[in-house]
Amino acid sequence: MTFSSLTATTLRPALALLGLGLGLASCQADIDAPAASAGPLDFTSYVAVGNSLTSGYSDGGLYNEAQAASYPAILAQQFGATGKGPASFVQPAFSDAKKDGSGYIKLQVVNGALAPVQPSAANQFLGEQVAFTGATLAASGQPQLEAYTGAQPDNLGVPGVSVLSSVSALTGGLAPFGVINPFYERLLTAAEKPTKDYVTYIGQKTPTFFTCWMGSNDVLTYATAGGVVSPLNPFGGLTDTTSFGTGYRAILTTITKNGTVKGAVANIPNVAGVPYFTTVTVAAVAAAFKAANAASPGVFIQTSNATTPVRLATSADLLTLTAQAVVATGAGSTPTNPLPNQYVLDATELAAVQARTTQLNAIITKTALRFKVPVVDMNAYFTTVSNQGITTNAVNNSVAFVTGNIFSLDGIHFTPHGYAIIANEWIRVINNYYGSTIPSADPNNYRAVLFP
Amino acid sequence: MQAKSLLLAGGTLLAATSGALASGFQIGLSGQKNIGMGGTGTGLFLDQAAQFYNPGAFAFVQGSGIQGGVNMAIPRISFRAQGGNAGQETLQNKNVFPFNGYAGFGKDNKYKFGIGAYTPFGSELHYGSGWSGRYSLTDINLRSVFVQATASVAITPQIAIGAGIVALAYGDVDLQRDIPLQSQAGGTFHAQLTGKADHKLGYNAGIMFKPSDKFSLGLSYRSAIDAHISGGDITLTNRPASVAGSFTATSFDATLPLPDVYSVGIGVQPTDKLLLAFDANLVGWSRYQNLDFTYNGGVLGGQATSSSKRQYQDALAFRLGAQYKVTDHFTLRAGTFYDFACVKDGFITPETPDADRIGVTAGFTYAVGEHFGIDGSFLFEDFMQRSQNQNQLLDNGTTDRIAGTYKTTISVPGIGVYVKF
Repeated sequence: MTFSSLTATTLRPALALLGLGLGLASCQADIDAPAASAGPLDFTSYVAVGNSLTSGYSDGGLYNEAQAASYPAILAQQFGATGKGPASFVQPAFSDAKKDGSGYIKLQVVNGALAPVQPSAANQFLGEQVAFTGATLAASGQPQLEAYTGAQPDNLGVPGVSVLSSVSALTGGLAPFGVINPFYERLLTAAEKPTKDYVTYIGQKTPTFFTCWMGSNDVLTYATAGGVVSPLNPFGGLTDTTSFGTGYRAILTTITKNGTVKGAVANIPNVAGVPYFTTVTVAAVAAAFKAANAASPGVFIQTSNATTPVRLATSADLLTLTAQAVVATGAGSTPTNPLPNQYVLDATELAAVQARTTQLNAIITKTALRFKVPVVDMNAYFTTVSNQGITTNAVNNSVAFVTGNIFSLDGIHFTPHGYAIIANEWIRVINNYYGSTIPSADPNNYRAVLFP
Repeated sequence: MQAKSLLLAGGTLLAATSGALASGFQIGLSGQKNIGMGGTGTGLFLDQAAQFYNPGAFAFVQGSGIQGGVNMAIPRISFRAQGGNAGQETLQNKNVFPFNGYAGFGKDNKYKFGIGAYTPFGSELHYGSGWSGRYSLTDINLRSVFVQATASVAITPQIAIGAGIVALAYGDVDLQRDIPLQSQAGGTFHAQLTGKADHKLGYNAGIMFKPSDKFSLGLSYRSAIDAHISGGDITLTNRPASVAGSFTATSFDATLPLPDVYSVGIGVQPTDKLLLAFDANLVGWSRYQNLDFTYNGGVLGGQATSSSKRQYQDALAFRLGAQYKVTDHFTLRAGTFYDFACVKDGFITPETPDADRIGVTAGFTYAVGEHFGIDGSFLFEDFMQRSQNQNQLLDNGTTDRIAGTYKTTISVPGIGVYVKF
């Protein structure tokens, strides 16, 4: 037999096989996409109500980059995967030339060690393009921010707003929030500033779906100030339960259009779990004092207690992240130079904050039930994350300062990475409650703390 | 400040396969004729590749000769993460080229000596830039070349035994992943680990029982070898300057256990033209419980070791093959196999997206003359689609990898030549 005759006859099946094989080889197997359905929900007009955590505030400031990664922005994007998302989701950004808004803390190497550095006029705002107008708000002394002039936002988050400050009737119409808070002031017209309260402001929207994460500032403002209420801030205390209940009902009545709009609400996390209170510890400061002076008995703190205004701190007292700077100057090392009250959330104050948090969360749960919306239990969620961390596609995240990925450099607000993790918890709860299948976001596509 | 998470935190690294043509990162392309018959060979004595498949059968191989073959493994791997918007992610499908070569001499049906070289383990995978699992693995290239010296003796005309000394002659690894720590200067912080394996010895042994010309039965065993890398290099790119003190390691040690394999096979020859074969393999993957790294410095905030769970389980494979001699010059082959995964649910890593798989094979030999011929083979392998979710990873303590769904197919055309005398 010759080779040519062999090719024509017996080799043909072999070549056919080879051809089939090469055909198979070029074929990429497809994996079916998981269903992404809105279920009974309609996200065409999604509106987010809330405070700084909703606005996208991060690293001690509101600025465009962080705002773009606010959890409502991430939610709006994920809602879009269901085909019933909003055509656009408007956030009150700063103008391009002033994109860094109120400025934000950066991690820098200071004296050979990494340290968070606050922008200020003294350091040229770290080169950031801040949006301060140069004027200050007369009622609070806070620097005014560039006015927002774009379309009416869908992200209604206003840094600093509390339930108490949302409803002017709760404070007898006194102290209008629009002349106190620069983040709210910038959203209002001149006529609205002294008159329009937050609950009225959110009533301008006609959402098809909403999220509401209010209440943190009703305890947090007090806590972060070490239990010291600033005379300049009429909303710096712990909000009483009656006012909170009234205010929270008013907010949900408004945003749900009397219970006709679907949505979800989140409750108040345990403030004691944030790095702002867990990074500078009494034990660490005491050890530093001991290293400098072997006879040091510990850390002296100033408390709100009238009978013992100065005492030694125990592990039950929390020190603020901002205490680091004053501790470095020796504050707290002697009874005559105690750590000032505003840097200490002492055990009594902490207990009061936590008790009030529990009460307010009960009101949130009850009110949500009445309006038939699910509660995202951020309090329980962050307790779990504090205890065991959370892994996102092989990245370990924790509540640790700087290294934990979740919290930004102010120790209270989230990084974009953290906001994406939060968004996924919202999605989980919304899907569970409404039977939708909104896909979760990949937090690893959002940055955490940036290192120099 | 505490060092941040990670280089290889719980690191995945070492191990893999795109060439994963058998469970784990086995390749199993060690003889072109055998490939065409579904990877059978323990109960056969087709050619000099018997040294690999069953050294006991080697004495029954007809003729002395030299042969060599090369294959082109063309993987197609798709992945879809459990969460996120990445959709289906595909790899930069890189072809790999497993090869085999043997020489055998001696007296037919009395004794044989031989040497061989082949690539039983290996893998090369390159995931797309920025893929969802980039903090677990971005690239792996694992290569190994084994050489073997074999002797086989026919004790009686019906029974032959044989054994080989097997050496891991060359092995190298290149593992890469991104590190989840971002720089103000931009750029992706990336780690690359490269190293060469120490030379290691193992063995194989087998027995062949051939009661008649119509029937043969073979048993063989291949020993385990621990591939060990010492003093491998760690290269970091785009490391933020301020965290340099947390990433001081420059070299690493690691051990990758390679499994032993028990095989049993039969050959049946109903007619002069037709040969049927059946093989079963038991691969001792359970040796591979953890992937441990030791570093010469800190990578985990001072920690100098990392451990990642593997917990492989022993895996079975069943193979069926047939050969039909069309003419004196032309032989056709076909086969199929089913190979069980060695990686358990919740333990799948990007470097070894293992799954139960079914394969079909075909092949031919064209004998140009009495002394020279060409072997062609083709293998197509279809992996079952396989998923793991984040809860499984949490339950198993395997969150150093990614939840999602893998689907793989591999095609392997191959060609070989032989000289017989």
